[in-house]
Amino acid sequence: MSRSHHADKATGVGDPQCFKGEAGPAKFKAGDRVRVKDLPDIFYTRTMQYCRNVVCEVVIATHESPAAEDEAWDNCDNPEWFYIVRFKQQDLWPEYPDAYSNDSLQTELSERWLELV
Amino acid sequence: MAEKHNHDHAPMVEEISDFEVLEIAVRELCIEKGLFTIDDHRQFTEYAHNIGPLPAARLVAKAWLDPEFKKLALEDGVKASLEVGINWITSPPTDFGTPSDYCDLRILEDTATTKHVVVCTLCSCYPRPILGHSPEWYRTPNYRRRIVRWPREVLSEFGVILPEGVDVRVEDSNQKCRFMVMPMRPEGTEGWSEDQLTEIVTRDCMLGVALPHPDRKHNAKRPIHKAINPVHGH
Repeated sequence: MSRSHHADKATGVGDPQCFKGEAGPAKFKAGDRVRVKDLPDIFYTRTMQYCRNVVCEVVIATHESPAAEDEAWDNCDNPEWFYIVRFKQQDLWPEYPDAYSNDSLQTELSERWLELV
Repeated sequence: MAEKHNHDHAPMVEEISDFEVLEIAVRELCIEKGLFTIDDHRQFTEYAHNIGPLPAARLVAKAWLDPEFKKLALEDGVKASLEVGINWITSPPTDFGTPSDYCDLRILEDTATTKHVVVCTLCSCYPRPILGHSPEWYRTPNYRRRIVRWPREVLSEFGVILPEGVDVRVEDSNQKCRFMVMPMRPEGTEGWSEDQLTEIVTRDCMLGVALPHPDRKHNAKRPIHKAINPVHGH
Protein backbone atom coordinates (compact mmCIF):
# COMPACT_ATOMS: atom_id res chain seq x y z
CA MET A 1 0.00 0.00 0.00
CA SER A 2 1.25 3.45 -0.88
CA ARG A 3 2.57 5.52 2.02
CA SER A 4 0.32 8.36 0.90
CA HIS A 5 -2.88 6.27 0.73
CA HIS A 6 -4.55 8.46 3.33
CA ALA A 7 -3.93 11.66 1.38
CA ASP A 8 -4.95 9.93 -1.87
CA LYS A 9 -8.26 8.90 -0.29
CA ALA A 10 -8.98 12.40 1.01
CA THR A 11 -8.01 14.31 -2.13
CA GLY A 12 -11.04 15.99 -3.65
CA VAL A 13 -13.32 14.56 -0.93
CA GLY A 14 -11.97 15.86 2.34
CA ASP A 15 -11.08 14.24 5.62
CA PRO A 16 -13.22 13.11 7.54
CA GLN A 17 -15.68 13.10 4.59
CA CYS A 18 -13.66 10.30 2.95
CA PHE A 19 -14.70 7.86 5.70
CA LYS A 20 -18.42 8.53 5.33
CA GLY A 21 -20.52 5.37 5.45
CA GLU A 22 -17.74 3.15 6.80
CA ALA A 23 -18.72 2.99 10.47
CA GLY A 24 -22.24 1.53 10.30
CA PRO A 25 -25.07 2.92 12.40
CA ALA A 26 -24.23 5.38 15.18
CA LYS A 27 -24.63 3.86 18.65
CA PHE A 28 -25.62 7.09 20.41
CA LYS A 29 -28.04 9.88 19.58
CA ALA A 30 -28.50 13.48 20.66
CA GLY A 31 -29.66 13.71 24.27
CA ASP A 32 -28.14 10.39 25.40
CA ARG A 33 -26.44 10.47 28.80
CA VAL A 34 -23.03 8.86 28.51
CA ARG A 35 -19.94 8.38 30.62
CA VAL A 36 -16.42 8.87 29.25
CA LYS A 37 -14.46 5.66 29.76
CA ASP A 38 -11.00 5.75 31.25
CA LEU A 39 -9.28 3.47 28.76
CA PRO A 40 -5.54 2.84 28.80
CA ASP A 41 -3.62 5.02 26.35
CA ILE A 42 -0.01 4.04 26.50
CA PHE A 43 0.95 5.45 23.11
CA TYR A 44 -1.46 8.05 21.80
CA THR A 45 -4.88 9.47 22.57
CA ARG A 46 -6.96 12.58 22.05
CA THR A 47 -9.24 12.00 25.03
CA MET A 48 -8.31 14.50 27.69
CA GLN A 49 -7.66 13.32 31.24
CA TYR A 50 -9.97 15.95 32.67
CA CYS A 51 -13.08 14.37 31.14
CA ARG A 52 -12.37 10.72 32.01
CA ASN A 53 -15.10 9.04 34.08
CA VAL A 54 -17.33 12.12 33.83
CA VAL A 55 -20.95 11.89 32.66
CA CYS A 56 -22.03 14.12 29.78
CA GLU A 57 -24.71 14.51 27.15
CA VAL A 58 -24.43 13.68 23.47
CA VAL A 59 -25.09 16.82 21.38
CA ILE A 60 -24.67 15.45 17.87
CA ALA A 61 -23.02 12.64 15.93
CA THR A 62 -20.58 14.57 13.75
CA HIS A 63 -18.71 12.28 11.37
CA GLU A 64 -17.08 8.90 10.87
CA SER A 65 -13.34 8.45 11.04
CA PRO A 66 -10.73 6.06 12.37
CA ALA A 67 -10.23 6.83 16.05
CA ALA A 68 -7.22 9.04 16.70
CA GLU A 69 -5.66 6.17 18.67
CA ASP A 70 -5.71 4.02 15.51
CA GLU A 71 -5.06 6.68 12.92
CA ALA A 72 -1.88 7.71 14.72
CA TRP A 73 -0.50 4.33 13.59
CA ASP A 74 -1.93 4.54 10.09
CA ASN A 75 -4.66 2.05 10.97
CA CYS A 76 -7.80 3.04 9.04
CA ASP A 77 -9.48 -0.39 9.18
CA ASN A 78 -12.21 0.37 11.73
CA PRO A 79 -13.72 3.84 11.36
CA GLU A 80 -16.17 4.78 14.10
CA TRP A 81 -18.64 7.56 14.87
CA PHE A 82 -17.54 10.74 16.59
CA TYR A 83 -19.78 12.78 18.86
CA ILE A 84 -19.78 16.29 20.22
CA VAL A 85 -20.56 15.87 23.91
CA ARG A 86 -21.47 18.49 26.50
CA PHE A 87 -20.34 18.55 30.13
CA LYS A 88 -21.56 20.74 32.94
CA GLN A 89 -18.52 22.65 34.10
CA GLN A 90 -19.41 21.80 37.69
CA ASP A 91 -19.09 18.09 36.85
CA LEU A 92 -15.55 18.62 35.55
CA TRP A 93 -14.09 20.99 38.13
CA PRO A 94 -14.92 20.57 41.81
CA GLU A 95 -14.39 24.25 42.65
CA TYR A 96 -16.54 25.65 39.82
CA PRO A 97 -18.82 28.26 41.43
CA ASP A 98 -22.52 27.61 42.00
CA ALA A 99 -23.27 31.07 40.60
CA TYR A 100 -22.31 29.76 37.17
CA SER A 101 -23.82 26.30 37.40
CA ASN A 102 -25.16 26.54 33.81
CA ASP A 103 -21.69 26.97 32.28
CA SER A 104 -20.73 24.08 30.02
CA LEU A 105 -17.89 22.61 28.01
CA GLN A 106 -18.12 20.69 24.76
CA THR A 107 -15.60 18.42 23.16
CA GLU A 108 -15.53 15.60 20.64
CA LEU A 109 -14.97 11.91 21.40
CA SER A 110 -15.11 8.73 19.38
CA GLU A 111 -17.59 5.97 20.10
CA ARG A 112 -15.16 3.64 21.88
CA TRP A 113 -14.74 6.18 24.64
CA LEU A 114 -18.42 6.46 25.53
CA GLU A 115 -20.86 4.21 27.41
CA LEU A 116 -24.52 4.78 28.25
CA VAL A 117 -25.27 5.47 31.90
CA MET B 1 46.62 30.68 27.14
CA ALA B 2 43.11 31.18 25.94
CA GLU B 3 42.26 34.60 24.64
CA LYS B 4 40.08 36.62 26.98
CA HIS B 5 36.57 36.66 25.62
CA ASN B 6 34.92 40.02 25.21
CA HIS B 7 31.56 40.03 26.99
CA ASP B 8 30.55 43.57 26.10
CA HIS B 9 28.03 42.46 23.50
CA ALA B 10 24.57 41.20 24.44
CA PRO B 11 24.43 37.40 24.56
CA MET B 12 22.90 35.83 21.48
CA VAL B 13 20.65 32.89 22.34
CA GLU B 14 19.55 30.62 19.55
CA GLU B 15 17.06 28.26 21.07
CA ILE B 16 15.28 25.55 19.18
CA SER B 17 12.62 23.31 20.66
CA ASP B 18 12.33 19.54 20.32
CA PHE B 19 9.27 20.05 18.13
CA GLU B 20 11.18 22.29 15.75
CA VAL B 21 13.93 19.68 15.49
CA LEU B 22 11.26 17.07 14.76
CA GLU B 23 9.63 19.25 12.11
CA ILE B 24 12.95 19.81 10.35
CA ALA B 25 13.78 16.09 10.48
CA VAL B 26 10.42 15.03 9.03
CA ARG B 27 10.48 17.78 6.40
CA GLU B 28 13.99 16.86 5.24
CA LEU B 29 13.07 13.18 5.11
CA CYS B 30 10.01 13.98 2.98
CA ILE B 31 12.14 16.00 0.60
CA GLU B 32 14.82 13.29 0.43
CA LYS B 33 12.19 10.65 -0.31
CA GLY B 34 10.62 12.82 -2.97
CA LEU B 35 7.18 13.28 -1.37
CA PHE B 36 7.50 16.98 -2.12
CA THR B 37 10.25 19.35 -3.16
CA ILE B 38 11.82 22.21 -1.25
CA ASP B 39 10.00 24.61 -3.54
CA ASP B 40 6.66 22.83 -2.87
CA HIS B 41 7.27 23.30 0.83
CA ARG B 42 8.05 26.97 0.44
CA GLN B 43 4.90 27.37 -1.66
CA PHE B 44 2.70 25.59 0.94
CA THR B 45 4.15 27.73 3.69
CA GLU B 46 3.67 30.97 1.81
CA TYR B 47 0.12 29.96 0.91
CA ALA B 48 -0.72 29.09 4.51
CA HIS B 49 0.72 32.34 5.82
CA ASN B 50 -1.31 34.39 3.37
CA ILE B 51 -4.69 33.13 4.61
CA GLY B 52 -6.37 35.60 6.93
CA PRO B 53 -9.64 35.87 8.87
CA LEU B 54 -11.44 38.15 6.39
CA PRO B 55 -13.52 35.41 4.67
CA ALA B 56 -14.81 34.28 8.05
CA ALA B 57 -15.70 37.88 8.97
CA ARG B 58 -17.70 38.17 5.77
CA LEU B 59 -19.41 34.86 6.47
CA VAL B 60 -20.59 36.19 9.85
CA ALA B 61 -21.74 39.49 8.31
CA LYS B 62 -23.67 37.62 5.62
CA ALA B 63 -25.33 35.45 8.24
CA TRP B 64 -26.35 38.52 10.26
CA LEU B 65 -28.08 39.93 7.20
CA ASP B 66 -29.55 36.81 5.63
CA PRO B 67 -31.48 34.33 7.82
CA GLU B 68 -31.40 31.68 5.10
CA PHE B 69 -27.62 31.89 4.85
CA LYS B 70 -27.36 31.81 8.63
CA LYS B 71 -29.33 28.57 8.65
CA LEU B 72 -26.93 27.08 6.09
CA ALA B 73 -23.89 28.31 8.03
CA LEU B 74 -25.07 26.61 11.21
CA GLU B 75 -26.00 23.39 9.41
CA ASP B 76 -23.04 23.06 7.06
CA GLY B 77 -20.08 25.36 7.66
CA VAL B 78 -18.06 23.85 4.82
CA LYS B 79 -20.82 24.54 2.28
CA ALA B 80 -21.43 28.05 3.64
CA SER B 81 -17.70 28.80 3.33
CA LEU B 82 -18.00 28.44 -0.46
CA GLU B 83 -20.12 31.61 -0.46
CA VAL B 84 -17.14 33.58 0.84
CA GLY B 85 -14.66 31.96 -1.51
CA ILE B 86 -13.26 29.27 0.76
CA ASN B 87 -13.30 25.73 -0.51
CA TRP B 88 -12.25 23.51 2.38
CA ILE B 89 -12.07 20.40 0.23
CA THR B 90 -10.20 21.24 -2.94
CA SER B 91 -8.36 24.48 -2.36
CA PRO B 92 -4.85 24.68 -3.71
CA PRO B 93 -2.08 23.90 -3.16
CA THR B 94 -2.70 20.51 -1.57
CA ASP B 95 -6.19 19.69 -2.88
CA PHE B 96 -7.07 17.96 0.36
CA GLY B 97 -7.93 20.44 3.03
CA THR B 98 -6.47 23.89 3.08
CA PRO B 99 -3.62 23.61 4.00
CA SER B 100 -3.69 19.94 4.98
CA ASP B 101 -6.33 20.55 7.62
CA TYR B 102 -9.45 18.54 8.40
CA CYS B 103 -12.61 19.71 6.68
CA ASP B 104 -15.50 19.69 9.15
CA LEU B 105 -16.26 23.30 10.11
CA ARG B 106 -18.85 23.82 12.85
CA ILE B 107 -20.08 27.34 13.54
CA LEU B 108 -21.13 28.08 17.11
CA GLU B 109 -23.90 30.65 17.40
CA ASP B 110 -23.78 32.99 20.39
CA THR B 111 -27.17 33.93 21.79
CA ALA B 112 -28.43 36.34 24.43
CA THR B 113 -27.87 33.58 27.00
CA THR B 114 -24.87 31.61 25.68
CA LYS B 115 -21.33 32.80 24.89
CA HIS B 116 -18.96 30.40 23.15
CA VAL B 117 -15.19 30.37 23.32
CA VAL B 118 -12.85 28.06 21.39
CA VAL B 119 -9.68 26.33 22.54
CA CYS B 120 -7.63 23.27 21.68
CA THR B 121 -6.29 21.97 24.99
CA LEU B 122 -4.26 19.29 23.21
CA CYS B 123 -2.29 21.69 21.05
CA SER B 124 -3.50 23.98 18.27
CA CYS B 125 -6.56 22.74 16.26
CA TYR B 126 -7.83 25.83 14.49
CA PRO B 127 -10.03 26.53 11.42
CA ARG B 128 -7.03 27.67 9.40
CA PRO B 129 -8.62 27.57 5.93
CA ILE B 130 -11.03 30.31 6.96
CA LEU B 131 -9.25 32.09 9.83
CA GLY B 132 -5.60 31.79 8.80
CA HIS B 133 -2.88 30.99 11.30
CA SER B 134 -3.78 30.97 14.98
CA PRO B 135 -2.47 33.76 17.19
CA GLU B 136 0.51 32.87 19.37
CA TRP B 137 -1.47 33.09 22.62
CA TYR B 138 -4.00 30.53 21.34
CA ARG B 139 -1.28 27.90 21.31
CA THR B 140 0.22 28.71 24.72
CA PRO B 141 -0.22 26.19 27.56
CA ASN B 142 -1.34 29.14 29.71
CA TYR B 143 -4.45 29.85 27.61
CA ARG B 144 -5.15 26.19 26.89
CA ARG B 145 -5.12 24.99 30.44
CA ARG B 146 -6.87 27.98 32.01
CA ILE B 147 -9.70 28.72 29.57
CA VAL B 148 -11.34 25.33 30.18
CA ARG B 149 -11.29 25.61 33.94
CA TRP B 150 -11.59 29.34 34.61
CA PRO B 151 -13.24 30.62 31.41
CA ARG B 152 -14.81 33.71 32.99
CA GLU B 153 -11.55 34.84 34.55
CA VAL B 154 -9.63 34.35 31.31
CA LEU B 155 -12.33 36.11 29.27
CA SER B 156 -12.15 39.06 31.66
CA GLU B 157 -8.40 39.23 30.99
CA PHE B 158 -9.34 39.74 27.34
CA GLY B 159 -11.72 42.51 28.41
CA VAL B 160 -14.91 40.49 28.12
CA ILE B 161 -16.92 40.65 31.31
CA LEU B 162 -20.16 38.78 30.82
CA PRO B 163 -23.40 40.06 32.32
CA GLU B 164 -25.49 37.89 34.61
CA GLY B 165 -27.68 35.46 32.78
CA VAL B 166 -25.09 34.70 30.10
CA ASP B 167 -23.69 31.18 30.31
CA VAL B 168 -20.21 30.35 29.02
CA ARG B 169 -19.76 27.36 26.75
CA VAL B 170 -16.15 26.33 26.11
CA GLU B 171 -15.52 24.32 22.95
CA ASP B 172 -12.44 22.13 23.31
CA SER B 173 -11.53 21.36 19.71
CA ASN B 174 -9.70 18.04 19.92
CA GLN B 175 -10.56 15.87 16.89
CA LYS B 176 -11.45 16.54 13.26
CA CYS B 177 -14.11 19.23 13.72
CA ARG B 178 -12.98 22.83 13.49
CA PHE B 179 -14.88 25.57 15.28
CA MET B 180 -15.51 29.29 14.94
CA VAL B 181 -17.90 31.51 16.85
CA MET B 182 -20.69 33.51 15.27
CA PRO B 183 -21.00 36.40 17.71
CA MET B 184 -24.22 38.39 18.19
CA ARG B 185 -24.65 41.44 16.02
CA PRO B 186 -24.00 44.42 18.27
CA GLU B 187 -26.40 47.33 18.78
CA GLY B 188 -25.54 50.46 16.83
CA THR B 189 -25.16 48.63 13.51
CA GLU B 190 -28.73 48.98 12.28
CA GLY B 191 -28.89 49.51 8.53
CA TRP B 192 -25.21 48.64 8.00
CA SER B 193 -24.10 46.99 4.78
CA GLU B 194 -22.32 43.63 4.54
CA ASP B 195 -19.00 45.42 3.97
CA GLN B 196 -19.47 47.60 7.04
CA LEU B 197 -20.42 44.64 9.22
CA THR B 198 -17.45 42.62 7.95
CA GLU B 199 -15.12 45.33 9.28
CA ILE B 200 -16.17 44.84 12.92
CA VAL B 201 -15.98 41.02 13.01
CA THR B 202 -12.39 40.55 14.09
CA ARG B 203 -10.47 37.32 14.48
CA ASP B 204 -10.77 37.41 18.27
CA CYS B 205 -14.56 37.81 17.99
CA MET B 206 -14.64 34.55 16.04
CA LEU B 207 -12.53 32.74 18.62
CA GLY B 208 -14.93 33.98 21.28
CA VAL B 209 -12.50 36.07 23.35
CA ALA B 210 -13.90 39.40 22.14
CA LEU B 211 -17.27 40.91 21.27
CA PRO B 212 -17.88 42.92 18.12
CA HIS B 213 -18.37 46.65 18.67
CA PRO B 214 -19.42 49.23 16.07
CA ASP B 215 -16.35 51.36 16.86
CA ARG B 216 -13.75 48.59 16.64
CA LYS B 217 -12.79 47.73 13.11
CA HIS B 218 -10.10 45.29 12.11
CA ASN B 219 -8.77 47.79 9.58
CA ALA B 220 -8.80 50.80 11.91
CA LYS B 221 -5.75 53.06 11.95
CA ARG B 222 -3.44 52.17 14.84
CA PRO B 223 -2.20 55.07 16.98
CA ILE B 224 1.41 56.06 16.36
CA HIS B 225 3.41 56.85 19.48
CA LYS B 226 6.52 58.89 18.86
CA ALA B 227 9.73 57.66 20.42
CA ILE B 228 10.62 59.35 23.70
CA ASN B 229 14.34 59.23 22.92
CA PRO B 230 14.50 59.19 19.13
CA VAL B 231 17.69 58.06 17.46
CA HIS B 232 19.53 61.16 16.19
CA GLY B 233 18.52 62.05 12.68
CA HIS B 234 15.53 59.71 12.57
